[in-house]
Amino acid sequence: MASHTSRGLLSLGRISASALGLQRPLSRVTYATNVSTNYSAGKTGLPDRGAGKFARRPRRAPGEPRTEKMPVDQDWTAVYPAAAPFRPGSVPLPVRMGYPVKRGVPPEKKGNLELIKIPNFLHLTPAAIKKHCEALKPFCTEWPSALDTDARCDAHFPIKAESTDYVSAGPSVRNPAARTVHLKVKLSSLNLDDHAFKKMLKLVGERYCRDTDTLTITADRCPLRQQNHDHAMYLLTVLYHESWKTEPWEAEKSVADMEEYSWEDSPSQRNLLDTLVPVEAAGEGGGGGEEVREQLLGRREVQEYKDSVTRLKNEGESESTVMLYKEAVKKVLNL
Amino acid sequence: MVYSSQKPPVCNNMAAPARHVGRYIQKNTYFLRNNFEQLWSHRSFGWTPSLRQQAAETNTESTDSFVIPRKKTWSKEAVLETLASTVGRDPTAHPYLFQDDPYLSPRTSNEFRMYSLSQESGRSAAKYFVNSNPKFFTKDFAEPHIPCLMPETVSVLLEEMSEEALKERISLRKVTAAVDMYDQLMQAGTAVSMETAHELLDLICLYCDKDPVQGGPQAEDTEEPGEELRKRKTRFRRASDVLRATWRENNNAERIFNLLPERDTHCYSALIRGMVKHGAYAKAFSMYTDMLNNRVTADVHVFNALLSAAPEVRDKYKERWDLITELLNHMKEQKVQPNLLTFNSVLKALRRCGFLAKTQALCTLNEMKAVEIAPSLASYDHVLAVFFRAATAGESNTDVLREVMSELAGSSLTCQDPDDVLFFSSAMRLCMDNKDLELGYKVQSLVEHGENWRLLGDSYQQTVFYGRFFNLLCMMEHIDVVLEWYRRLVPSLYYPNHHGLRDLLQALDTDGRLDLLPTIWKDIRSLGHDNKSDLVEEVLTLMARDTHSPEVQEAFAVCALDVKSVFGGDRGRQSLEWSNASLSHITSLLLRANKTQEAWEMLQLFKSENRVPNEGLLEDFLSACRSHGSPTRAVELVQLSAAFCLSATGRLAKQALEFDLTEEQRAVLSELEATGEVSD
Repeated sequence: MASHTSRGLLSLGRISASALGLQRPLSRVTYATNVSTNYSAGKTGLPDRGAGKFARRPRRAPGEPRTEKMPVDQDWTAVYPAAAPFRPGSVPLPVRMGYPVKRGVPPEKKGNLELIKIPNFLHLTPAAIKKHCEALKPFCTEWPSALDTDARCDAHFPIKAESTDYVSAGPSVRNPAARTVHLKVKLSSLNLDDHAFKKMLKLVGERYCRDTDTLTITADRCPLRQQNHDHAMYLLTVLYHESWKTEPWEAEKSVADMEEYSWEDSPSQRNLLDTLVPVEAAGEGGGGGEEVREQLLGRREVQEYKDSVTRLKNEGESESTVMLYKEAVKKVLNL
Repeated sequence: MVYSSQKPPVCNNMAAPARHVGRYIQKNTYFLRNNFEQLWSHRSFGWTPSLRQQAAETNTESTDSFVIPRKKTWSKEAVLETLASTVGRDPTAHPYLFQDDPYLSPRTSNEFRMYSLSQESGRSAAKYFVNSNPKFFTKDFAEPHIPCLMPETVSVLLEEMSEEALKERISLRKVTAAVDMYDQLMQAGTAVSMETAHELLDLICLYCDKDPVQGGPQAEDTEEPGEELRKRKTRFRRASDVLRATWRENNNAERIFNLLPERDTHCYSALIRGMVKHGAYAKAFSMYTDMLNNRVTADVHVFNALLSAAPEVRDKYKERWDLITELLNHMKEQKVQPNLLTFNSVLKALRRCGFLAKTQALCTLNEMKAVEIAPSLASYDHVLAVFFRAATAGESNTDVLREVMSELAGSSLTCQDPDDVLFFSSAMRLCMDNKDLELGYKVQSLVEHGENWRLLGDSYQQTVFYGRFFNLLCMMEHIDVVLEWYRRLVPSLYYPNHHGLRDLLQALDTDGRLDLLPTIWKDIRSLGHDNKSDLVEEVLTLMARDTHSPEVQEAFAVCALDVKSVFGGDRGRQSLEWSNASLSHITSLLLRANKTQEAWEMLQLFKSENRVPNEGLLEDFLSACRSHGSPTRAVELVQLSAAFCLSATGRLAKQALEFDLTEEQRAVLSELEATGEVSD
């Protein structure tokens, strides 16, 4: 499976080499020696059937690797047409890989297991990719010319469904991870009013990302991708319609359920009014309590104070918000 | 949200292709979904002012309504086939079935045969085990299902006496069991349907009343009709011919045939074809006359079989041709439509009709054109054989082949007749005999086109074809082109035999590229031809014939040492015997590269192998000694020459005396000189 990185394995190899300690020379020797030494036991170990012909068969000499015969301008896409393990006799490059021998260089490519373990992309050289693309062009249809910017694509196709296919060598092409479907929608492209938006946020919870305004629905409950896709679309539909409906029990929404701070009917407003109303009432000489309140609320400083408090509560404390609050308080209290 | 009055047409256009026409494109990609738009067309909600404005803004940008093109569909393998078509042939690689490793790839033709046969035998052994023990292979790992990896039924399941059991035995190709079952059914009086009877007759006639070899340990191992032996030597072919079954008198097929209540075309045709296949030609013709007497119409297979058997039942050319025309007339009367195999059988029979063949072959080809049947490679092969006999190779011209090639140029060929595979090797033989290089290139380009290489036949036919082609090249082409083809063909497609290598050496000699001899010698060694004495001697002769520049001499000397290891008994298997020529050539090569020590060792070998060096060699050695200034060596040389009782001893001694020697050496030499003169 092409999902692991080669670097991870290399470092693993090094760690294991250093951890082996005393055995280190041995492990280096095993992948640095020639393949042919393995055969020394096999060929000459023939039983002597008597002197003469069968006494000793000469060991089969390792042949010349075919890299010697490869011309420089050969067609590499023919040598490695598909993904294949690294073959030192067929790759005419003097690569070295592995932990270096003491005061030496990394071992050569012949008999090097490290090179065989890692995935190689010898079959996907730029020339090969160019050829493949040329060959696959007849399978493609033209991209509509009206969809030339990302913005336009998002505008016409707001819902994006993402799924992954997996390829691996083995007897079966099926992979259970291939059934997941991720549906991504920007909530700004849905027609939601304020109440619907808030209800939608409450319904989906963590699936909504505020920064990008994207709702992601992941479906993997069903065994097939088509089913998961339909399920995700169904969920989106249901969410939308449900968020537009208003249930009777939603009227019981309390301050603790509110998503953002609103200054009306909050302790801050009460406090401010309690502070200011007597001052005003004392100044004006006992008008109606309600009028005074309305008047106060209409005043500019009070509005500013309201904005700064709302900001402080909603956006959190930072230099600018605290400074604003300070200014607003000073103005309101005429300091 | 971009809906406006302009959008609905877009909406409709997009909705249509959204329905799947085919399967998913297997790529990791973002699918753009349109179902959302479909939903929206049904609902109309009020838009908030901000959104409408946004919609208005975007409307001004995308005023053109676009059409999403309809998705293309293709078969399951189409993408893989397309990608495969971008891949060419790798000239240095061995066939894919071998391990691509310098130690494990076959280097000689024997190894090629051995490895491919062993692979096939391993595969069939595995298949045998899987089929005989199906209870261990019940779990199916492959998804999607691969039928050829699961066990097949090879043993009969139904034991009772019924027509289904008979059908099962027929489908499992158990001839004797099927015949027994049929007899039992007949005795019990059960009626057997006509189709089953047809199938039973077909089975018996195909296998000539014997069980086919199943693959287990059997006596007739060399007769394997179903296996693909990658390379058969000639002796194998003759063995399989000899062991082919012959049609016995009154065998089960005839017996069952006679017992049938009614006999129709299919029964007759099964019998006639079986008889022709297994050699009972006269009987086939008598059965045919029976058929005519009973007024049963024949079918095209009957006629094909009879036409191919016609040359066997008549001896004279004229009679054969008359029989063929008679059969063809019958065919016309019975309104049986001929097919390609009919014409091919006629042409094949014409090969044995002597002087009549040429005109009649052309007439046959015209008939084929009239019936609009395109000739296959087998037809062309028969025509070529008719026009060009090997005996009269000298006077034939290649016009016929030229026309055939122009007809076939650039076409993709498929195998329609078992004899199609013989076309290419006979065409190349023609080109080779007539030394027509251009035509040879045309034939080769036809082979290289597309999938036509499949029609080269098994590896034996392939070797023959490439051997002839290479022979033609070596004869006619410049050495650079020859070497380029050599690199392309060897050893991925063709393992040259020692005739081919001799041709190559000759070509090298003709064009004066003897400096390539060491590389060719390396190839000779790896191809396993270093046990052919004539080839080795030829290499040595060519190397030792002239003097070359110092680097080349150096390379030759190294090569000569390598050649030396071929002789002598230090190898386990057969090694070559030293001959006078080989010894002297190696010695002189070593001398020319100033490897005097090795050359001296070679001279010792002369003695141990009881060969006498020639005098020129010794004189060369002496002059080499002079240039190196080793007087002791010179004295020993003269002594050696004396030991061989050569007449040149005296001369050599005189020359050696010119060196600066010690007194004893002088004395020895003068004595030898004296004895040399005396013996003259």
